[in-house]
Amino acid sequence: MSGGTVDRARAMAAPLGRPALAAAAFVVLAAAFFAVIGRNPLSMIGVVLEAAAGDSYAIGESLVRATPILLCALATALPARVGLISVGAEGQFYAGAIAGTGTVLSMLPTPGWTMLPLMLVTGALGGMALSLLAGLLRTGLQVNETISTLLTNYVAALLVTWLVYGPWKSPASQGWPATVEFPAAAKLPALFDSRVHAGLLIGIALAVVLHLVLTRSRWGLVLDVLRSNPRAGLVAGLDFRRNALIVMALGGALAGLAGIAETASIQGRLQSDIAGGAGFSGFLVAWLARNHCLRIIPLSLLVGALLASGDGLQMFAQVPSSVTLVIQGLLFVAVLLVNGWLDRKRPG
Amino acid sequence: MKLHRLVRPLLAAALALGAHAAHSQTIGYIYVGPEKDYGYNTSHDLGRQYVEKTVSGTKTLHVENIPETAEVSRVMERMIKSGASIVFATSYGYLDYAIELGKKYPKVAFMHAGGLKTGDNVGTYWANSDDAIYLAGMAAGSVTKSGKLGFIAAFPIPQVVRSINAFTLGAQAMNPKVTTTVVWTGGWLEPAKEAEATNSLVDAGIDVIGEQVDSPITIAQTAEKRGIFVVGKDVDVSKFAPKSVLTGASWNWGPTMVKVVNEIKAGTWKPSHIRGDLKDGTVVLDPFGPAVTEPVRKTILAKKADILADKFEVWSGPMTAQDGKELLPAGKAMPMDMLESMGFFVKGVIGTIK
Amino acid sequence: MTTFDIVLGSFLVSALRSATPLVFVLVGETLVQRTGSINLGVEGQMLVGAMAGYGAAALWGDPWLGLVAGAVAGMLLSSVHGLLTLAARANQFASGLAVWMLGFGLSAYYGAGLVGRKIEGFGTWRGAGPDSVPVLGPIVAGMTPTVLLALVVAPAVAWWFWRTRTGLVWRAVGESPEAARAAGLRPIRVRLQAILLGGLLSGLGGAALSVDHTRTWAEGMTAGRGLVAVGLVIVARWNPWWVLPTALLFGGAEALALRLQTADAGVSAHLLLTLPYITSLAVLTLTCLRDRGQAAPAGLRAVMDR
Repeated sequence: MSGGTVDRARAMAAPLGRPALAAAAFVVLAAAFFAVIGRNPLSMIGVVLEAAAGDSYAIGESLVRATPILLCALATALPARVGLISVGAEGQFYAGAIAGTGTVLSMLPTPGWTMLPLMLVTGALGGMALSLLAGLLRTGLQVNETISTLLTNYVAALLVTWLVYGPWKSPASQGWPATVEFPAAAKLPALFDSRVHAGLLIGIALAVVLHLVLTRSRWGLVLDVLRSNPRAGLVAGLDFRRNALIVMALGGALAGLAGIAETASIQGRLQSDIAGGAGFSGFLVAWLARNHCLRIIPLSLLVGALLASGDGLQMFAQVPSSVTLVIQGLLFVAVLLVNGWLDRKRPG
Repeated sequence: MKLHRLVRPLLAAALALGAHAAHSQTIGYIYVGPEKDYGYNTSHDLGRQYVEKTVSGTKTLHVENIPETAEVSRVMERMIKSGASIVFATSYGYLDYAIELGKKYPKVAFMHAGGLKTGDNVGTYWANSDDAIYLAGMAAGSVTKSGKLGFIAAFPIPQVVRSINAFTLGAQAMNPKVTTTVVWTGGWLEPAKEAEATNSLVDAGIDVIGEQVDSPITIAQTAEKRGIFVVGKDVDVSKFAPKSVLTGASWNWGPTMVKVVNEIKAGTWKPSHIRGDLKDGTVVLDPFGPAVTEPVRKTILAKKADILADKFEVWSGPMTAQDGKELLPAGKAMPMDMLESMGFFVKGVIGTIK
Repeated sequence: MTTFDIVLGSFLVSALRSATPLVFVLVGETLVQRTGSINLGVEGQMLVGAMAGYGAAALWGDPWLGLVAGAVAGMLLSSVHGLLTLAARANQFASGLAVWMLGFGLSAYYGAGLVGRKIEGFGTWRGAGPDSVPVLGPIVAGMTPTVLLALVVAPAVAWWFWRTRTGLVWRAVGESPEAARAAGLRPIRVRLQAILLGGLLSGLGGAALSVDHTRTWAEGMTAGRGLVAVGLVIVARWNPWWVLPTALLFGGAEALALRLQTADAGVSAHLLLTLPYITSLAVLTLTCLRDRGQAAPAGLRAVMDR
């Protein structure tokens, strides 16, 4: 193929064609995998689509799964704006769940209308506290934030386990490790008669606001300068430490909010394992979106839909759960390959 | 909607691959771990296969690796929307979600593994493996030289705590001075931690180990490697550790499940707490390993006969707690709620429950 | 021989055993990061290594072949990361996570048939060694081939990295790919070699876990060790010499969390299980207190902007 043809193809593919091209690449990869394991590729892909978005129930469940991922992706993208790589959304999710649950438990047995706002605020503060720990270690002692957030993820998850097996275990749970059930006053309003709750709208609104702030405001520019050229930032009198702490704090608050919203509205009680990898999925979404807050919205929905459809694929196509993981991996390979091919000529 | 029209025929084609005849009953099964784990989940999947084979006109759906969180609500609901009229929720933490969904879908029958809550259409099934573990504990108590036993388990939930206590009580029946040291791994499927926990216990002078994790394979093999003894759970692992395995408690869920399914089909089912045991064959005492001597086998089998004839009850007084307080006075049987939400260790168990 | 000897000796062995898979993975990922890449996919590479290793050992009945197969499988999977990041210039984090998922999914899919198969592991030298020697006796008795291999590989790579010409080339590429290119070196090729070597070593680490340490295959059996290793590279300060102590620190804390339970420490097990993570973070913070900041390869810092 001549260079001209490639260029023309590339021009045609950009920018609306990019998702279409990625989708095509994904279908090819997925079909190849299904063929290798001896399944009919077309019907398998049909099953995935049906389980992810076949009816209002499936769409609702996909949105439920996407909500915490969206918030956790924003929690990853914000620190990345100054060049900090936080993998801590999972732990901040749990820290938020712990703090918010503490508020709910302390306000029982007489929940008032203040419970919901107080719970959300303390949840956000909980996530913020854990994130700030990593931020302070970084700005004060140069402790790498990637490793500190990674390690505190495990600690926060184990703290939840400790709490629900020990001090916070509900006496009514017959030995099952969970807190008491949250009252209705602690639940976010549900949308369209499904499990989808207002957290999704909050997440989308926050993504839009953050996008505007980061691209339009002076502060957004400050962050860009600090990331791409720390030395120039120093010369211009920009304060890396202060801004690093701010983005870490805000990011942690978002993940903490995801944690307490999920605990209160979806789980209805605090227990182990409730993050279900939302923090890591969020990390992946953020980097696939190249930390672009608007791009995070559709990608979160996509990943949420894939995760939510996993059991449908198991049920209807009788394949083990591992197939969903492979499919997900192949989707990301396809997106990355297409993006890489289209951006090949760009300096970078 | 467009998508719908496109996908429906494809989906129908996909489903047709698995099922060609018209089925009157669809049954859904949900597992907390991998279907092929050579342990707890495999035992349930064998039950599923038995149901599919035995009850004509049944089709099963099964989904693995579903955590005990609100995730399971989605899975159960999708099963019901795809036509399942019976749902077997096979892990202890699915209960509250099953009861919630039961209210939303009154025509579906839910069967949940253990727990003491029911709904109008939610019943529980479980098997008291405690008797078999008690008997296996007797074998452990008879071979220990140090008088120190160990127990490796994932999490302190009642069904695990019961096993630890039954194991210890059985061993104490052979040797009253026996203690059981408990190590928690913090995960149902953590081979690396299970191997190292076994090594830790051996290094601390322990010479028989009981276990309740997802699959007993790793612990049994490590025990064999270190030359100590082990008691199995969920499946017979003697082929992995022919010298070390003393015996164990395995499941046979099939007949119980078939009985329930037939009752539901006949319309005679009422939600209750079904509890299988050694007597009805839901729990099986595994064959003895070579280390269990003939006289010991006789003693254990005599005790088993007593259990089958209702002459002996594991959960009856006198029973003393870890800290020396009385749990049950002599001659009193343990009430079901105390048994099913067990959150205490008996005397002789070393470890913390929280 | 006193109880103290047994406890100390057996604890050291326990720490070594727990650290062994980590040593391989850490050495590999250190080289990857030293040449200016980062590969979060090591978790998936460990898993395919563990699965392929177990499968080969089951099929051919030889644990050594298992180790080889595991290493090859890890290397094959890492080539996906190499392709995505070097040829398609994809973001390293996203690519690594994609590799992780592929590795987890493929190993679970193809490993399902291996569950319940038995393999012959390596023998131990228990009983053959000088059991009566204090501390050393239990250590020798508890050794296995992969532990010894780890003890050899880490310093050998460190020596190669700091003392040989090719080691210098790799370091130069990590510090400044532009300067390296100007000096006639080929940074992309070196990075690819490092990623493949990292894949080989992480696959070997996974196989050490399945074939030797546990003699079990179970899906997801690495339980986050690969991901932790990517982070521990920072604790080891991107220096192969520090890999062994770092892995021992983490493995030791893991072993301690279990051993404290056998000693009836009276503390909640859930809290004890946080030990490896808290210890690692504490040690890292302490070393940073002393000399502020870590010697991250300059080339690595460019990673995040892609």
